[in-house]
Amino acid sequence: MIHFYHVTKRFDRYSTALHDVTFQVEKGEFVFLTGPSGAGKSTLLKLILRQITATEGQIVVNGRNLNAMKKSQLPYFRREIGMVFQDFKLIERMTVFENLSFILTVLNVPPKEHKKKAYQALRTVNLHHKLNAYPPHLSGGEQQRVAIARALINDPLVLIADEPTGNLDPDLSHEIVQIFTEANLRGSTVLLATHDRDLIRSSGRRCITLEHGRIAEEKARVIERPHVREGVFGLGG
Amino acid sequence: MPRDFIPGRREPEVPSNTFSYFFREAVRRIWVSKRTSFVAVAMIAISLFIVGSFLLVAENLNRAAEEWQGKSRVIVYLESDATPQQVDAVGRWLAAQPDFARRRYVTREEAMARFKTWFANLSEVMGQLEDNPFPPSFEIDVEPRLAHSRAFHQSIGALKAMSGVDQVQYDWEWIDRLRRVVNVINIAGLIAGGILAVAAAFTIANVIRLTMMLYREEIEIMRLVGATERIIRGPFLIEGFLQGILGGLLSVALLFAVYEAARRSLSATSSILWGFLFAGFLPWQKIAALIAGGMLAGWFGSWLSVRERGEDR
Repeated sequence: MIHFYHVTKRFDRYSTALHDVTFQVEKGEFVFLTGPSGAGKSTLLKLILRQITATEGQIVVNGRNLNAMKKSQLPYFRREIGMVFQDFKLIERMTVFENLSFILTVLNVPPKEHKKKAYQALRTVNLHHKLNAYPPHLSGGEQQRVAIARALINDPLVLIADEPTGNLDPDLSHEIVQIFTEANLRGSTVLLATHDRDLIRSSGRRCITLEHGRIAEEKARVIERPHVREGVFGLGG
Repeated sequence: MPRDFIPGRREPEVPSNTFSYFFREAVRRIWVSKRTSFVAVAMIAISLFIVGSFLLVAENLNRAAEEWQGKSRVIVYLESDATPQQVDAVGRWLAAQPDFARRRYVTREEAMARFKTWFANLSEVMGQLEDNPFPPSFEIDVEPRLAHSRAFHQSIGALKAMSGVDQVQYDWEWIDRLRRVVNVINIAGLIAGGILAVAAAFTIANVIRLTMMLYREEIEIMRLVGATERIIRGPFLIEGFLQGILGGLLSVALLFAVYEAARRSLSATSSILWGFLFAGFLPWQKIAALIAGGMLAGWFGSWLSVRERGEDR
């Protein structure tokens, strides 16, 4: 679903955000992307959404080579991707409902269905009672959840999130990951950038670690097995 | 379930429900930036007001010219001492010309009486004159279409050569001159208005550019969630379009108010001098053209600003 082939992104001579990055995320996978601040996580996500273009290498998302994609095709490509931005990117002068309704307008959903769909998406993130609130009147966590609802509203093929738990307490973080897990079960491929190691560890999912713009480590998904007490049947110890 | 992305598949560029979105957004943006929008609307209104003023003056002069030409009259002034035989000969000659059939003989006394009626305040002066200064004349109503015919001019030449005829006057020469003046006014109005309308369009372009700067972040978000350039630019185009319509309507309202005020104040003082300038307001076609001009200037202005774009780094 997401393929990076020797991708390098240089902003100028002195700053290389990503260096020769190669990885794949298969359809239906749930993958974490981690690494310290400045490791290149956000740059990598921006490349997937084609907010920026790679300096070298090839990026293929859902069978589309992003380097070769025409500008006119970009909006249609982006409609298949649900993105949760680190800074939420909610339109402040619009209510929560209008923020979601705008996406539905873009997607050519009849206006009479907007309320129902927006309500359903907000219910997923447990914010259905804030339909008429304006983003600046919401807490950071609530804004985060509105951004997630907006990304989910179209059942995207690929769901990308940049630090979606950054502003949340641990309980809420697990709740958010659960929302992404449910989206993943419904068929969305999920790539979630976070530096919350505990969250990754507890999820047991595949994780790509970036450091200084390079892939430092790749851990495969830990296969969940029934917990077997050591010493049972005399095998342990 | 997520829908599979089908490469090459394109949804309709502008979904039907986005037109109402464009309109709502445009109205909202005009309302939010009232002051800058007002400047744009005022610029268009002033430009079109100037165009409209030229058109209005030209229209009324044209109407006057048509009216005068409609009543085209040839006056054959006879010499004061013309003999009855000479008058009779001219009368008979005119009777033989089918184009001059509608004629009337005005005696010297009749001409004097007519002058006294028209200029009552000068009647005392006229009474002090020993002699009647007015010559007898033939007043002939002719068809306006004859004005430029060769036969007519030949007839006038023949009339002038007849004995007892002092001079022959007809209105076309100055009506033609008036028409040329009307044309010059029309062209001057269009040129001045055109230049001002382009200036107004650039003002609108800057206002829209300013609005786009204000909405820069929002536009970026729209692009990121998959909005096409048409969806992003649509409200801005409609905004310019609406500002243009408002400017056009305002110019017509302003023009009508000024026209009415001038008509009332000037017609009360000296109707003969100014009356012909106030025969009527612009016909609906020209009013519609002014408003359409505003729409066009607004649309052009917003198109100028939205065609610029840039995204990728």
